[in-house]
Amino acid sequence: MAVPTAPPALKFTGSKHLSQRLVLATLTGKTVRISQIRSSSHTSPGLAPHEVSLLRLLEAVTNGSHIEFSYTGTTVLYKPGLITGSAAGYGAQGGVIRHELPADCRRGVSYFLIPLCLLAPFSKAPINVLFTGPGVVTSSTEAGDVSADTVRTAILPLFRSFGIENNLELRILRRSNIGRDGKGGGGEVQLVFGHQVRLPKTVHLMDAGRVKRIRGVAYSTGVAGANNARLIEAARGVLNEFMPDTYIFSDISPAPFVPAPTKENPAAKRKIGLGFGLSLVAETNTGALYSADVASPPAGGEPPEDIGRKCAYQLLEAIEEGGYVSSVAAPTVLTLMAMGSEDVGRITLGKAVLGLEQVVQLARDLRTFGLSGWGLREDEDEENEVVLSIVGKGISNVGRKIT
Amino acid sequence: ARALHDRKQPYRVADLARMMYDDMLSTADVLRAWRGEGEAHDTATGEDNDDNDDLFQRKESTDNDEEDRLVPRLDYSALETKWAEADNIEAMRHRFANTRLTGANAEDVGDDDDE
Repeated sequence: MAVPTAPPALKFTGSKHLSQRLVLATLTGKTVRISQIRSSSHTSPGLAPHEVSLLRLLEAVTNGSHIEFSYTGTTVLYKPGLITGSAAGYGAQGGVIRHELPADCRRGVSYFLIPLCLLAPFSKAPINVLFTGPGVVTSSTEAGDVSADTVRTAILPLFRSFGIENNLELRILRRSNIGRDGKGGGGEVQLVFGHQVRLPKTVHLMDAGRVKRIRGVAYSTGVAGANNARLIEAARGVLNEFMPDTYIFSDISPAPFVPAPTKENPAAKRKIGLGFGLSLVAETNTGALYSADVASPPAGGEPPEDIGRKCAYQLLEAIEEGGYVSSVAAPTVLTLMAMGSEDVGRITLGKAVLGLEQVVQLARDLRTFGLSGWGLREDEDEENEVVLSIVGKGISNVGRKIT
Repeated sequence: ARALHDRKQPYRVADLARMMYDDMLSTADVLRAWRGEGEAHDTATGEDNDDNDDLFQRKESTDNDEEDRLVPRLDYSALETKWAEADNIEAMRHRFANTRLTGANAEDVGDDDDE
């Protein structure tokens, strides 16, 4: 950009909260230098494969980004460019950016989807990214990622309250659980985010309401479909006590067949990403969403009944924590609120959600990036909820033409 | 009574608002203080708490090596007993719009179970 002397880079340390910081840097256009990334680790110092992949994704959807790694990968300098999206001429083919995830990726595809969804409303052109390659895991993972189903059913709908609702679609083209040794997949997911705004609307999400329905997706990849029925039955066994209107879809798909060339047989293929899992979403009468995700561990050894029950308990916990957003969606919603127009937006949060390290760190990071601080106040009606008010900074979408 | 009075009430919003932007404290410290776990050192249960702290430290150091996670780690066996208790179930009822198991909805449930 046409600034004679670039402002000094904002400095951060550590590998935690990396994606959140990169997203904030891209949105505010500020340069960041993140150092000491796993510098104390002897086995795998520096950026992990999924983090490198996330940086490459950011580079793909922006124009003019500049990324510098140190030799060991423990320090990264990121100078964001303009968010251009999948505009022709910037690496997109036919309006679609293909993003390949490496086989040693240990994170689910939602690790990439959620940051991308945060950038997408501020993009110049619609975002259309196809995640493919041997590292795409659509299920939830042990590393704490939610499944792609949860992104579709519990995170994308939240953009509606910010006035972002048209042409949002997440297609799960091929499912995959996490591979046998806890890495890799073989799935395929396409995110179409066609609604770009100048500023997200100011929201007042005050009333969490009451849960009126529970929906879910049970998925079996490469294993018998009976697992789905067992997952669903176990989850319903817990939830029926509370909510008769529970409907869980069942999706059975074959395992992805990915190339695994060996010396003897370069054309060899193998099946990876077998397993099953469950994603549950509870919706309230005011549109608040709570979600839960559990998938079978890559080592196996857990019957679907246990997974189903765990998922149901996790959902009950999320509902009990209260607030308008659960811990899964809180960072996304809070970031969008901070990006809104210069007006006070309000949201109720459960105290347990606010008391998460990630959320407090987000508050600090937002301030570091020059966004406004949060105001906190007790909720009069609900004792375990807090009303959080955020003044937007009016960071407008520079790329979008004013209409 | 004084000891009880001196102990800070956990989860007070004003406390968090005060500590949130205090960069001298790490986020973990802030949250521990907010939950009221930090200031119990000099009480009679000090030993217990030290144990707890050790546990926390260890957990954190492994956590720090790991990445950010969205799905919370939960103790599922504790949850199983928690949600088996009638009191807890009753306390949750107000969060649900319609929890009658009789009437029109009961039939729906029956139908689904047959599948």
